[in-house]
Amino acid sequence: MTRTRIAALVTAAALAAGLTGCGAADMTRQASPYADAKSSRTVTLSTQSWVGAQANVAVAQYLLEHELGYRVDTVQIDEVPAWDALSQGRVDAILEDWGHPEQEKRYIDDKGTIARAGDLGVTGHIGWYVPTYFAERHPDVTDWRNLNKYADEFRTAESGGKGQLLDGSPSYVTNDKALVNSLDLDYQVVFAGSEAAQITQIKQFAKEKKPFLTYWYKPQWLFEKVPMTEVKLPAYKEGCDADPEKVACAYPHTPLQKFLNTRFADGGGDAAAFLKKFRWTTEDQNEVALMIAEQKLSPQEAAGRWVKENETTWRAWLPS
Amino acid sequence: MTATATPVTPGSTTAVAPGPGALRSLACHRGRLIGAGAVVALVLGAVLLGGGSWPASLSVDLSGPLDRTSDWIIDNRDGHPLFLYFLGHVSNVVVVSVRAVYLVLLALGWAGVTAAAGLVAWRVAGVRLALTSVAAFAVCGLLGMWVPTLQTLALMAVAVAASVLLGGLLGLAAGLSDRMHRILRPVLDTMQVLPAFAYLLPVVLVFGIGVPAAVLATVVYAAPPMARLTALGLRGADAGVMEAAASLGATGRQRLLTARLPLARKELLLGVNQAIMMALGMAVIASVIGAGGLGDRVYQALGSVDVGAALAAGVPIVLLAVVLDRVTAAAGERLGTAPARRAGLGWAVALAATSAVAVAGRLSDRLAWPPSWTVDIAGPVNGAVDWMTAHLYSGVPLVGGTADWAGRFTTWVLNPLRDGLQWLPWWAVLLTVGALALLIGTWRTAATAVLAMAAIGVLGVWDPALDTLSQVLAAVAVTLLLGVALGVAAARSSRTGRALRPVLDVFQTMPQFVYLIPVVALFGVGRAPAVAAAVVYALPAVVRITAQGLSAVDPSALESSRSLGATGRQQLFHVQLPLARPALLLAVNQGVVLVLAVVVIGGLVGGGALGYDAVFGLAQGDLATGLVAGAAIVCLGLMLDRVTQPTERRGLTGKGA
Amino acid sequence: MNGLTQDTAEPVFSVRELWKVFGPKADRVPSDEALASLDAAELRERTGCTAAVRDVSFDVRKGEVFVVMGLSGSGKSTLVRCLTRLIEPTSGRISIDGEDVLSMDAGRLRELRRHRAAMVFQHFGLLPHRTVLDNVAYGLEIQGVARGERRERAAEFVTKVGLDGMEHRRPSQLSGGQQQRVGLARALAVDPEVLLFDEPFSALDPLIRRDMQEEVVRLHREEGRTMVFITHDLSEALKLGDRIALMRDGRVVQLGTPEEIVGAPADEYVRDFVRDVPREQVLTVRSAMRPAVADECETGPALAPGATVHEAIEAVARTGENARVVEDGRCLGVVDRAGLLGVVAGIPAATGKAVA
Repeated sequence: MTRTRIAALVTAAALAAGLTGCGAADMTRQASPYADAKSSRTVTLSTQSWVGAQANVAVAQYLLEHELGYRVDTVQIDEVPAWDALSQGRVDAILEDWGHPEQEKRYIDDKGTIARAGDLGVTGHIGWYVPTYFAERHPDVTDWRNLNKYADEFRTAESGGKGQLLDGSPSYVTNDKALVNSLDLDYQVVFAGSEAAQITQIKQFAKEKKPFLTYWYKPQWLFEKVPMTEVKLPAYKEGCDADPEKVACAYPHTPLQKFLNTRFADGGGDAAAFLKKFRWTTEDQNEVALMIAEQKLSPQEAAGRWVKENETTWRAWLPS
Repeated sequence: MTATATPVTPGSTTAVAPGPGALRSLACHRGRLIGAGAVVALVLGAVLLGGGSWPASLSVDLSGPLDRTSDWIIDNRDGHPLFLYFLGHVSNVVVVSVRAVYLVLLALGWAGVTAAAGLVAWRVAGVRLALTSVAAFAVCGLLGMWVPTLQTLALMAVAVAASVLLGGLLGLAAGLSDRMHRILRPVLDTMQVLPAFAYLLPVVLVFGIGVPAAVLATVVYAAPPMARLTALGLRGADAGVMEAAASLGATGRQRLLTARLPLARKELLLGVNQAIMMALGMAVIASVIGAGGLGDRVYQALGSVDVGAALAAGVPIVLLAVVLDRVTAAAGERLGTAPARRAGLGWAVALAATSAVAVAGRLSDRLAWPPSWTVDIAGPVNGAVDWMTAHLYSGVPLVGGTADWAGRFTTWVLNPLRDGLQWLPWWAVLLTVGALALLIGTWRTAATAVLAMAAIGVLGVWDPALDTLSQVLAAVAVTLLLGVALGVAAARSSRTGRALRPVLDVFQTMPQFVYLIPVVALFGVGRAPAVAAAVVYALPAVVRITAQGLSAVDPSALESSRSLGATGRQQLFHVQLPLARPALLLAVNQGVVLVLAVVVIGGLVGGGALGYDAVFGLAQGDLATGLVAGAAIVCLGLMLDRVTQPTERRGLTGKGA
Repeated sequence: MNGLTQDTAEPVFSVRELWKVFGPKADRVPSDEALASLDAAELRERTGCTAAVRDVSFDVRKGEVFVVMGLSGSGKSTLVRCLTRLIEPTSGRISIDGEDVLSMDAGRLRELRRHRAAMVFQHFGLLPHRTVLDNVAYGLEIQGVARGERRERAAEFVTKVGLDGMEHRRPSQLSGGQQQRVGLARALAVDPEVLLFDEPFSALDPLIRRDMQEEVVRLHREEGRTMVFITHDLSEALKLGDRIALMRDGRVVQLGTPEEIVGAPADEYVRDFVRDVPREQVLTVRSAMRPAVADECETGPALAPGATVHEAIEAVARTGENARVVEDGRCLGVVDRAGLLGVVAGIPAATGKAVA
């Protein structure tokens, strides 16, 4: 009895394998199940968690849908996994990348599954910031050499006896632990764990005009709400951040890059051409980002408003 | 079967170990013996091993092999036969099925889907639930979440179907074969304490970001309760009925199909119910790896610190959970009661009505939810949250603001606890764990607990694990304090109980991501908000179990104490609480497991330690950090579960049940 | 053991030297003289085994009601399960209509359970998710009888056990007695050669139990089906049984007609057991009879030899004469007041020695 059952199971398994396994299935080339049924002209964009990146995607999506007649899906993915997803074709484009040399080597140079698509036009910069209201009262805080003097002011329950240096999402590039060590600062790096938590905390501090020291980056809409001044770290020189354990210099200024999936770049038609040409300024990006983050407009509404007012800018991106 | 005339069955006559008297006296002095042993070991340890953290010589660095594994997978994903001929097909099947369900839902249109939901609820559970279902779907549409809701539903349908199938098969194996049961039980026990985040990373690595990975992670999460309940139901089949079937000459197959499976149908349905709830609980977490749908909306809203938008996407999840839970529970209750007269006719009516509505929708070209029929709740909600945080954060007269509480909690509770644990010599920690587990459980549980703890040391994350442990302990303490108090209140006054129930339901089903921002806004960044998030998540289960335990106390015991003139207080402390001890212990156990389940969420608000490492691993695609942290969380969970597990685990209490 | 002279019918079940031992390495117990002779406590101490059935032999004859009686733990329920191998015996022989049961393969054994021996259980064993009708039809369904036919046949048996109008209820909507009627109908529906009852009425209220017992008596009278009936209730055993096997600690301590059990207990245990039985209702006039002297065979009320002492007392009291015991027109003897009183007092008329 059991034997016949086992035999039946084996047969069923073999049948199933025969039915499905007759060909190879490359899962790196699968479409999203939610893709539109009516039209095959679909583009999937990777959107990252920070609002600047959402602004890029919102405007690109708006124009692709309204001007070029595509359907756009967005997927929110962290930076490094986004490279992997791009390589697999789960997404067609990343519009804002802050520099991932390791991934560039693997996917662009070695595997050739990802293609460069030029500058976004925005330059990114990471740094340490204190609120401007605090910097105005204590101008010397903006030099790293004086930070130890203010460690007491930056103390919180979480940092114990030291000053608190607030870091953000684990997906961001950071050398802060090494910096604190190398520069011999009396500070404790506290990871907020997500950008949302970090922003919320910064706003709470700002509401009470409390001093704080935080890892932050430009362009970012939060500067419009909470003016912050950068603390000068030892100047960045090419290669000074080569050993991540012993970094003792500031973060570089990075021209943000766009990347496309190779197959999409070659066969993506108008959409690919448009995304390659997509290029705007820090101010443009901030304008849209602020509408999303502070006026709480939906990304599409924000993009719609920007598009209405900046036709000359985006006309140039459309394929002729 | 009663004792009279029961044939002596093989199971009941196992050999009695020699010298029962000695054993009994041993059991009497068990506590003292364990204490004495611990003291001896303490002295020995101090002399031989010295103090300090886990020695580096005893740990293994896995980062090399893990990185190589990760690279191999990435390089071979589009070429190796394992991926092309097996995993690729798995992935394909998932995509095709999700797409099929999604297209069907789209084709039904909003009116068709709502009608179908209402009519199914009507047939299964009556008019009231039917109206609730219709209202729930209407709210999903009103919040502007129609399409994401359908995407989540499509994904859920496939994931639940796969979970029920897989869990059912595993449960069938464990239910019919003792050997399979012995093998599967520890596995299922472990899965029960496995935080969902812990295995997102491996799944993503193999399947890449996207729906297949999300579905598979959901299945891994939702199948165990189904398997567990199936096995429980099959094993618990009335022996008398089974014997009667055998006596009539039924074959093994006939016994299974006509007797054993139908007898277990309540457990099977409960398993389906649990699988659905677990899958929904996973909907948001899975959005981190590309599930799309409602979860993705919640996740995206987080990026712009938009609680209102997160809530707008979170509410449909809660509504889906409530409706699906009530409908499946009602289906379970109706089983075996009145024979369903003319059930076929009712279903036919339901089917006809659904198709009529769907066709009408199609003809009038109103398949998509009308965009004008939406209500924006984000604005008011954000206003409310802003007001709350602005007024509670600091400077509240007399009690101080929430930020002050958080600060004090961190300084006076979390810091000493963490530093104390980390100061303890590693062997002393192992010893404490072993002794505690032994006091509450058995040798077996103690051994598992100590091994799990030692594994953490071997993985090389001893210090962060103790940091996490200190947060978990603090959160459990707060949860129990609040939970038992609320549970007592709910059990003693039915009005309080009724008022609490919907609140608890919402907290339990609301995706944790939604209250991440309010928690930070109230308590700042750090470990205090992590503890707060854990408390909010674990509280409902603790309150419910406590209240149920207290109300289940034998009324005659209460009556007799009342007849002796006991006051309400005396009744509570002398009768109810002592008699509800098993329920309270279960509440502790569930509290621990649930708190640990959100440790990773704590990592997102500054909890640091293992939670942060897990998030970091996921965010950076760093298998070495993420997997090790995930494994350590699992070990911590196993350890805590075993230490707080008084007796046989009660089979029916699934995670979050 | 069954040396009765009227034994002419072919035995349906024939059981010889049957053992059922639970525990580790149970096989060695029956074959080992030393172990086999141990009592229950010693056996458990020595081997960790429990012998539920020890060296039992008996025949069940066609058409009789064979009762196995004993207190709880005496092994009677295990014994009846061994008959169709619901519990696998440790050693011994069982045959049904001359066919060896223990050597049957799975298919043959199913055949036996499906068509030749059906069982009625103490706790009914009904399927809670099925209606009364479908429960009664369950045995037929297992045999593969088509739906229409099995429902038709089931309906017939539902009527037979007096459950008309309840066909579509679920077991949970029935009283205990009604549920057992369903169990009985289910067993009858497969038209078995033998009906096995495992304490079928002990979970029922006394009044309902009496109804059900009468139901069984009626069925037996109407159909003459062979029955094996397990009970711990002595009065039930005496009322229903043609022959009774009395079990204690897995052994049959006495096997005989109710009259033999009550009238001539084999040992102290049995004597103790039957002490409170109203003897005049069980014993027949045979046991109170003495040979006729002179013309006693000519006068007085006539009684059949199977009449109970109770009936004889009534007749003697009514007529004031001694009663004759007549079989086929032949006078076997007479019963007088002294003899009857002797039976009631437990003193056999012939010898004058107390037996109980």
